[in-house]
Amino acid sequence: MRVYGFISTLLLAIGLCFITVMSDPVLAQSKKIRTITVATDATWPPMEMVDTGKNIVGFDIDFMNAVAKEGGFQVVYANTAWDGIFGGLGAGKYDAIISSVTITEERKKLYDFSEPYINVGQILVVPRTMKNVKGLADLKGKKVGAQIGTTGAFEIKKVEGVELKTYDEIGLAFEDMTAGRISGVVCDEPTAANFALQRAQYKEKFQIVGEPFTQESYGVVVKKGDKELLILLNKGIKAVKAKGIDQNLKKKWLR
Amino acid sequence: MAQVEKRKKKIEDQGQPVIDIGDGAAIPTRKDIGLFDAWRIAFFGAIAMVLYLAIFRPDPYLKIIKFVPDGIWVTFKVTVGAILLALVIGLFTGLGRLAGNRVINGVASLYVEVIRGVPLLVQLFYIYYALGRIVQIPAMSSAIIAMAICYGAYMGEIFRAGIQSIPKGQMEAARSLGMNKSQAMVHVILPQSFTVILPPIGNEFVALLKDSSLVSILAVADLLRRGREFASETFTYFETYTVIALAYLIITLFFSKLVSLMEERISARQ
Repeated sequence: MRVYGFISTLLLAIGLCFITVMSDPVLAQSKKIRTITVATDATWPPMEMVDTGKNIVGFDIDFMNAVAKEGGFQVVYANTAWDGIFGGLGAGKYDAIISSVTITEERKKLYDFSEPYINVGQILVVPRTMKNVKGLADLKGKKVGAQIGTTGAFEIKKVEGVELKTYDEIGLAFEDMTAGRISGVVCDEPTAANFALQRAQYKEKFQIVGEPFTQESYGVVVKKGDKELLILLNKGIKAVKAKGIDQNLKKKWLR
Repeated sequence: MAQVEKRKKKIEDQGQPVIDIGDGAAIPTRKDIGLFDAWRIAFFGAIAMVLYLAIFRPDPYLKIIKFVPDGIWVTFKVTVGAILLALVIGLFTGLGRLAGNRVINGVASLYVEVIRGVPLLVQLFYIYYALGRIVQIPAMSSAIIAMAICYGAYMGEIFRAGIQSIPKGQMEAARSLGMNKSQAMVHVILPQSFTVILPPIGNEFVALLKDSSLVSILAVADLLRRGREFASETFTYFETYTVIALAYLIITLFFSKLVSLMEERISARQ
């Protein structure tokens, strides 16, 4: 027993020394640099997606990294399903969301948004076989798909006579359009361009209808009343815009 | 297979308890007083809770309750469609598993093994999206077919066990009366095995009802999908899923009661 007591005391002493030595720099660092966890639904190319190396990449990710650099904080990404991404923020699972989130009045009631960082619009994609479609109104009596809980889905709902079908991921909606189960898909213009113009398997089959029919802005979402983080984010976004980094990223990721 | 049966027999002979649990809700019987009470508490409690929420907290609960009923209807259609199709598939699979013909037996066994080895969620994705590239099937029908193909395998095992539970003498007696094998099966064996397999089929029905929530990933607007659509627009996740859970609970408990009543009737007739 005595031997064990001695050994455990020794181990404890060594452990305590170790912790004291290690904790000093760690403590000092955490005071200076804050690490925030940011949720993103990486199924929305080219804004956020998972590349072949399983890394989360995209315009939003590069933008957020730039904001973090300018704002003086660190970012960790959490790949989160869109359906429930706001609920996770409310439950405190992460500090912020950057996931092509359009700033809307309804969302503003429950969450706080940073300054807008890019302007986009909703656009309609239809199969090439569908002629004479100029907008959603021409798809009366037909099914049109969108990702669940997106502004695209809300826009479809507004049009009388068009049946909305919601998908967990926008890619599944495009796949269902290939199978002929729906006659159109509404999503953000950059994502529509990515699916309908740049992908070999869809390029021949789909076409984009006209111009975006809404005007929306993306913002970074934080918990209601998280002023400290909001100030940090807005400071970073301002600096990124002033340096023109966002314009370079647009050239890199968007057409 | 024969070895497993032998081992099972041995275990039973030694008087060791055999645990038999299906994946459906526990079906209450009159003998089982505790469960009967639990059923009452759960069923009427859930109904009372829905009413309470609808009357005293109409925002957002009443809105949710008004939003989801067409989803319940879709859930119901998928479940009933899938169970009917699964019964047909199951009957043929069960007969196939007992067939003397090696090809038929092999095909039926292979089907059961493959289906039982792939998760239902994966099967649903597979049948919906992979086959969608080859043939055009509407969303609802593909959901029903996918569920039925999965449950048909389990149903086949139920049919097989049910048919095997009928004493061999029955078949022999029918044959000696001049019936051929299939006549004996249709007129003598199957009617008798029906009472044996009805309880597990009822169990499967309740299990399928719950599993039908998985079709919400196929953009089929069932109960769960409707709930998710509502939650994603209003951000009332907790409230919405409370209603969804209560709705499933009420439906499931209602059907498990129905199954137990049916069972009682059958055993009373015997």
